[in-house]
Amino acid sequence: MQNAAIQNKRSDSWLNIKKDFNTMTWVLMPVAIAINMAVGQIVATLRLPVYLDSIGTVLVGVICGPWAGALTGALANTILGLTINPDFLPWWPVAAVIGLVSGICANYGLFKSWWGVVVSGFIIALAAAISSVPISLLVYGGITTGGTGLITAYLVETGRGIVQAVFASSFLTEPVDKITTAMLAFAIIQGLSKRFIARFPRAENVETDENISRTQLYIAIAVVVLLILFAILLLGRLTGG
Amino acid sequence: MHERLSFFVKRDSPIHRLNPMTKVVLALSLVLIAFSSPWYWTPQAIFLLAIIPLTFIARVVKEYWSFFLKVILATVSFLFIMQSLFLPGESRIIFEIFGLEVTELSAQLALRNATRIAVMISSFTILLLTTHPSELMSDLTRRGLPGQFAYVIISSLQIIPQMQAKAQTIISAQRARGLDTQSSFFRRVGAIVPLVGPLVFGSLVEVEERAIAIEARGFTSTRAKTSLHEIPDPSSERVIRWILIALVLVSITLKLWLS
Repeated sequence: MQNAAIQNKRSDSWLNIKKDFNTMTWVLMPVAIAINMAVGQIVATLRLPVYLDSIGTVLVGVICGPWAGALTGALANTILGLTINPDFLPWWPVAAVIGLVSGICANYGLFKSWWGVVVSGFIIALAAAISSVPISLLVYGGITTGGTGLITAYLVETGRGIVQAVFASSFLTEPVDKITTAMLAFAIIQGLSKRFIARFPRAENVETDENISRTQLYIAIAVVVLLILFAILLLGRLTGG
Repeated sequence: MHERLSFFVKRDSPIHRLNPMTKVVLALSLVLIAFSSPWYWTPQAIFLLAIIPLTFIARVVKEYWSFFLKVILATVSFLFIMQSLFLPGESRIIFEIFGLEVTELSAQLALRNATRIAVMISSFTILLLTTHPSELMSDLTRRGLPGQFAYVIISSLQIIPQMQAKAQTIISAQRARGLDTQSSFFRRVGAIVPLVGPLVFGSLVEVEERAIAIEARGFTSTRAKTSLHEIPDPSSERVIRWILIALVLVSITLKLWLS
């Protein structure tokens, strides 16, 4: 009995790649890729200062596992890069890291409360920022297209080295985007029926005993707002000095 | 409205007739050489001597240039202007604008980086203009790519345009019932939920049915599958592929050796 329990525990480890992939995972992946794209499009229509183009990736990472998440991210950027906007293409390793890290966070039980989700969003953001620096430098020579590139350019102009500027601009822009992404993915999971979630390989990652309280959600939103204000303040400091 | 997201243009050209794998290797090696070569003029040379002739040989000149004007030109010129203005470089100043200096060094670097991006986008564009996605996938599956990958890629290409259309419908519908998508920042943030919710839940509902349907068609079977459609792969193309791979390796070695 005990042996079986240990065995079971081991096969639940996030290192177990095979566990991530069943038919539901494979069918969810293209839908997740399309969700990434369509939500990104809606957010662009609303002219919000975030991308939110990895909700699908995080969703797969959480309910199917880190390796499925990583594969979804990599394929999403490759497919969208080749068909809609070539700007996506070089960033596929970052998308893979986002899927992987969100899966690992979920495996350590962070996707069971709003607190955990904010923390995971932050961890995902750090991982994404670190992994995007070499790509910015190698592919684009530091200054990328889009909003982050403008911030980098500003920092370089105010006398910072290019590597330092790339790091600073990634760390400024990523957290807000990724925490919001993680929260929306969690909200989607909360809205799905338990019976549906149970068919995915890592449904236990989001199993919660009691209902998620609303106060927790409000506190989590407050934390995000504070973070945004902090980022703006930091940006002011960096550009002022 | 496209039924499927694809650039493919049906033409009869030597490039169209190539095995899909050869085209993939060609596109990747052009990109890798443009990024790894130690010589300053390589990306520009690749663009002029490989990309442009290829569009003629493949008979997709019109399609390529219309994509170039619509997408590539904007990306690349943005990159060039930003980088030549902001990349640091201590050298002769060419001109100044609003206190920002364009130096010789920064303009040179900007030109190289922008051309590299142009080569990258262009070579993949040519690949996609001349290769049907299903043909590419069936060739890759024959070479050992798991069928599940092919499924994800091909069905993404089908679902993405459907989803785009659905997103537009939801935006219009919510606007029609009075949802504010254009005024203050907080109103727009609040509009995320009624727009994203129906889209995501609506599309996830189909997942389970689709899983049952493909499982009934032997999706998880591990036996080798036969294909009706034969894709020719002459040995001359195999040679071309090895030559291209060798060129990439030479370029990377030279880069490492010279730096």
